[in-house]
Amino acid sequence: MKKRIVSVVTALAMASMLAACGSSSGGAATTTAGGEASTAAATTEAATGEASTAAETPAGGEASGEAVTLKVWGPQEEQALLQEMTESFKAQYPDKNFAIELGVVSEADAYARYSEDPAAAADVFAFANDQLRDFVNAGGLYEVEREGDLAYINNEINALAVDSASLDGSIWAYPETADNGYFLYYDSSVFTKEDVKDLDSMLAKADAAGKKIFMDVSNGWYIASFFIGNGGVLALSDSGAQECDFNNEAGLAAAQGIQTFVESPAFLTGDDAILISGIQDGSIAAGVSGTWNAEAISEALGDNYAATKLPEYTTGDGNKVQMSSFGGTKLVGVNSQSAHPAEAMDLAMWLTNEENQVKRFEARQIGPANIKAADSDAVRANIALAALAEQSLYAVSQKDVGGNYWTPAEAFGTALENGEATDLQQMLDDMVSQITQ
Amino acid sequence: MAARLSSFFRGIGKGFRHFFMYFIQGDLPTKLSYLIMGAGCFLRGQIVKGLLYLAVQAGYILYLVNFGAAYVAKLDTLGDVTQTKEFDPALGFSVIKPGDNSMLILLYGVFSLLLGVVVLVLYLRNIKEAWENQQTIASGGRLPGLRDDVRELFNRRFHVTVLSVPTVLTILFTVVPLIFMILMAFTNYNREHQPPGNLFTWVGTENFSQALWGNPLWSRTFLKLFLWTMVWAFFATFLNYIFGILLALLINQKGVKGKKFWRTVFITTVAVPQFVSLLLISKFLHDQGALNNILQNLGIIDSPMPFLSNGTVAKVTVIIVNLWVGIPYTMLISSGVLMNIPEDLYEASKIDGASGAKQFFNITMPYMLQVTTPYLITQFVGNINNFNVIYLLTAGDPKSLSLYQAGETDLLVTWLYKLTVNEQNYALASTIGIFIFVICAVVSLLTYNRSKAVQEEDRFQ
Repeated sequence: MKKRIVSVVTALAMASMLAACGSSSGGAATTTAGGEASTAAATTEAATGEASTAAETPAGGEASGEAVTLKVWGPQEEQALLQEMTESFKAQYPDKNFAIELGVVSEADAYARYSEDPAAAADVFAFANDQLRDFVNAGGLYEVEREGDLAYINNEINALAVDSASLDGSIWAYPETADNGYFLYYDSSVFTKEDVKDLDSMLAKADAAGKKIFMDVSNGWYIASFFIGNGGVLALSDSGAQECDFNNEAGLAAAQGIQTFVESPAFLTGDDAILISGIQDGSIAAGVSGTWNAEAISEALGDNYAATKLPEYTTGDGNKVQMSSFGGTKLVGVNSQSAHPAEAMDLAMWLTNEENQVKRFEARQIGPANIKAADSDAVRANIALAALAEQSLYAVSQKDVGGNYWTPAEAFGTALENGEATDLQQMLDDMVSQITQ
Repeated sequence: MAARLSSFFRGIGKGFRHFFMYFIQGDLPTKLSYLIMGAGCFLRGQIVKGLLYLAVQAGYILYLVNFGAAYVAKLDTLGDVTQTKEFDPALGFSVIKPGDNSMLILLYGVFSLLLGVVVLVLYLRNIKEAWENQQTIASGGRLPGLRDDVRELFNRRFHVTVLSVPTVLTILFTVVPLIFMILMAFTNYNREHQPPGNLFTWVGTENFSQALWGNPLWSRTFLKLFLWTMVWAFFATFLNYIFGILLALLINQKGVKGKKFWRTVFITTVAVPQFVSLLLISKFLHDQGALNNILQNLGIIDSPMPFLSNGTVAKVTVIIVNLWVGIPYTMLISSGVLMNIPEDLYEASKIDGASGAKQFFNITMPYMLQVTTPYLITQFVGNINNFNVIYLLTAGDPKSLSLYQAGETDLLVTWLYKLTVNEQNYALASTIGIFIFVICAVVSLLTYNRSKAVQEEDRFQ
């Protein structure tokens, strides 16, 4: 008898535990009557709320038509903007009953999140153009084939951005921004416009003033500017294998140039936090970075805020070479697994049209890829975007850089920064063999 | 061990013999239950139970027909239909027709098969039950009704009732994903074979041979990271252990004032979440971080100390920083154990003229080791997989040209993470995961079974 009581008590305990689990996962079930009542009230409220939105849609558009559900991914900072843009998109198509759902996925993470489950990913998503090859290889994108879309992209988007969205002669996505690149920020009270044309004179002047010049050389994205500036090539063969010639004579000369730079007492490496705090406390007089830091740097430097293209540097064999850079864009792609590809393309077009690119610039100071949107006084007056445009003459697209490039390039930069470089040629050979494997 | 194995196989043999014997000697309901699950129950009056069996059978067949069979059928190749596209003049673009998704085939295929195993167990049980029912009736007994069965579940078979939910959940959320992940090691699921546009397929043990000797870069990386993982786990475990004990002894010394205060002071490092302290220390030790700034401003060093940017120094740094995170825990545990050591042992040895060091090595340490060996083993295995400390402190950096997608301080487990997240090389990552499991299993089984705490378990009580 005693045993039975024990077992009943245990069973009750188990049951209540299960109930507890159930309520926490369900999020709504509560055991107290009051709780239940309030939940019920909340549910009714939600239901009426839904009803009112449901009532609005057909009222705004007369015919309710077929329901089209689209999911859109964009970065956290752009959610409000996306909300506004998708609302205006819905208003464009009154005959269709759109349900548009927004998700937070940054442009940098788009491919990683997409590959987790392509069928559950967004129909329309923004991504950085260096993921284009991954997306195309994985068969994740709808090619842009509609004549109207192609005409818009070819005629109204700047050539570099169109190129960044094309692969194997086809266009795969809708260019949204042309702002992903780097250039030189500097303090105009330390350097003159003449100084910033040449890295050597900058280093000399910074050293004399006891200030630093910042560049994250232990990062494949930045270190490439020396190699590519001196004629180095990162390309992909027809079979998709990475090709890299950074270990030839020109590459060695570039590497010697990097070594001279990093061994200078005025050189400083680090991440964005180091750059910003150094600019704020005045220890950094110039730094290589991109538009995402423009606001912080312009605030810190005030009237002395200036930006321009990257300087020339001196290679190991004594030539002056203009530093190159990676120029990137952000693109809007349409998921190949989308159930409503035509509508998804309409939406991608809408998100990247002139009007919305202007809106994006106004809200977030992001450089438009649309030629007309970029051709405004406001964009031209933006110091950082002007510097980016200046540097874009020397920039190369990043789309031919495979995933194997980044880690070895970082390792090479790290070794140089730490003064562990013994045999540069050997190190370049190692790096290239890892990149091209 | 051998006895256990042979009895296992004898059990299987017996099961097979019974399976045929029941069929030959069974009456119609028993024979029918080989085809229709539950026939041996509902034909004999156990309606609800019989229908439940039948529902299982019907449900599984429906599941297979509507969903599972398509995946199971493609499990051998992991799919053969690639995504295609066809131009639609009305729409103005090529509409994509989805093909097979190898990852979903693997996932649902494994799930369907495991579900099949569960159904098979129930099927065999249904036959056994039909036979038992037949025997009961033959001997003139009464069959248990539904009410009897339910009562049983709350009495003699209460363990079944209680354990069923956790078992089902464990299988669903741990075992199925685990098998799915393990199987990935035998495929070529990597950057070049990404769904939905591409298929991946079985490649046998190729990933294992590639990682161990086939690909020199992979095998060199694996070996170097394995050695560093072991060195790290050794120091991280034993240095924490020894310093923790010494700290506890120091605080426990007679004559130390404010014991509770000291203990609390050291425990405050535990109160700050580990990842917060690690991220802060990482900033603190950075080349341009606070520590280097202070040292430079004081004129002690000219250029920043490469605490985290030089491979060898960084290795020492992570081990030392880990002391900060780990010592308080050992101190807590060993304080308790130390207070339990009988005082008379110390007094007796004192009378015999033993020094403090002698007491430590001959009384304290043997006692501590006996009690804490299992703790040491879990710590060691935990340190092999200590993702947090390494990833938050150095992220595996500094990168090295001699390693594949890894840095000097990367453990195998952080390398695995990088292979999955940055490289999408799921196949290699899964292979490394299996290696890590084997290493952990061998280390813990060997040391655990040889430890005094286990061998003299009964004596200790």
